[in-house]
Amino acid sequence: MLEFFRWLVNSPWSHVMNSYEWVFPAIQSLHFMGFAMSIGTIAIVDFRLLGLGMRGQTPAALAAGLEPWTRVGIAVMLTTGPLMFSTDAVAYHANPSFQFKMVCLMLALLLHFTLHRRAVQPGAPPIAGKLAAATSLLLWTAVVAGGRMIAFI
Amino acid sequence: MTIPTMLEWIESTQLSIAIREGGLPYPIIGGVHLLAIALFGGMLLAVDLHLLGWLMPGRRFSEVWHQFQPGKRLGFVVVSVTGLLLAWAEPVRLWGSPSFWVKMSLFALVGVHALVFRATVYGHPEKLDAGITPQARLAATLSLILWAGLIVSGRLIAFDASFEPASTSEIRSMNHAVSTAALHQES
Repeated sequence: MLEFFRWLVNSPWSHVMNSYEWVFPAIQSLHFMGFAMSIGTIAIVDFRLLGLGMRGQTPAALAAGLEPWTRVGIAVMLTTGPLMFSTDAVAYHANPSFQFKMVCLMLALLLHFTLHRRAVQPGAPPIAGKLAAATSLLLWTAVVAGGRMIAFI
Repeated sequence: MTIPTMLEWIESTQLSIAIREGGLPYPIIGGVHLLAIALFGGMLLAVDLHLLGWLMPGRRFSEVWHQFQPGKRLGFVVVSVTGLLLAWAEPVRLWGSPSFWVKMSLFALVGVHALVFRATVYGHPEKLDAGITPQARLAATLSLILWAGLIVSGRLIAFDASFEPASTSEIRSMNHAVSTAALHQES
């Protein structure tokens, strides 16, 4: 594993990321836009499931309309994230905030593509929707918080 | 009161010291700032992408607008308040950060954008139910550009050399000179 991280740090894209001062902040900005797009649209559905606003549409209709953009956001996030990781993979993998973030991210993605998807369907019990929404908000909050803490711990 | 003394006064307040030197408050406020960007950004994207015909094209604009407006407003307030708190913690450094000024200029343009398009787009969303006008598409495009610009400039603040305290910025520029020299050697 450590070998792989060392290889990542020396990979061509890692060199490009490290060679120019502006590349890292540019990729990081894209990462922020990706997570705003994905987490933002997921949060809209979660708030609807919890009964907090957006009552004009059913959770199913809202989720169907937003899902393509959630996926675009996830794709951007999962491309730019590993790029940043590869610039300093050895240090990141040992960072407790990073490890916490990765665990929460895996759980959040797993939830989104399994239980969360079922909970928004018409006919799903409201309590299932509320539980899925609360867990989803909690996990994504933890992902963002963990990400923010990487620079501090 | 001159501007430098005012900035120093801000830095000397209990609130500024607590955020700057308290350890946890700074990343926590930063985290809430980011989460609110996601919430506000998600709703803003939904409205803008709808105007461009790429999100929920079958729905009426007024419905989409009224649906996301309360959340957008709440997100905007949280982003602004946490942003102000983060700025309150380090006004002297931010004053010298070019990216911070870019960000504030874009922020001012967000206000101009809202005023300019109030009459044709945002003031009467029902009028757009019959069909999205070119002005509305322009408003949505500019809004997306401003949003992206705010994120980029906000992120760049952390990379501005002048953002670092004087002592470390000198070291940093020295390191930078060394690494640039090394780069030239490599190539």
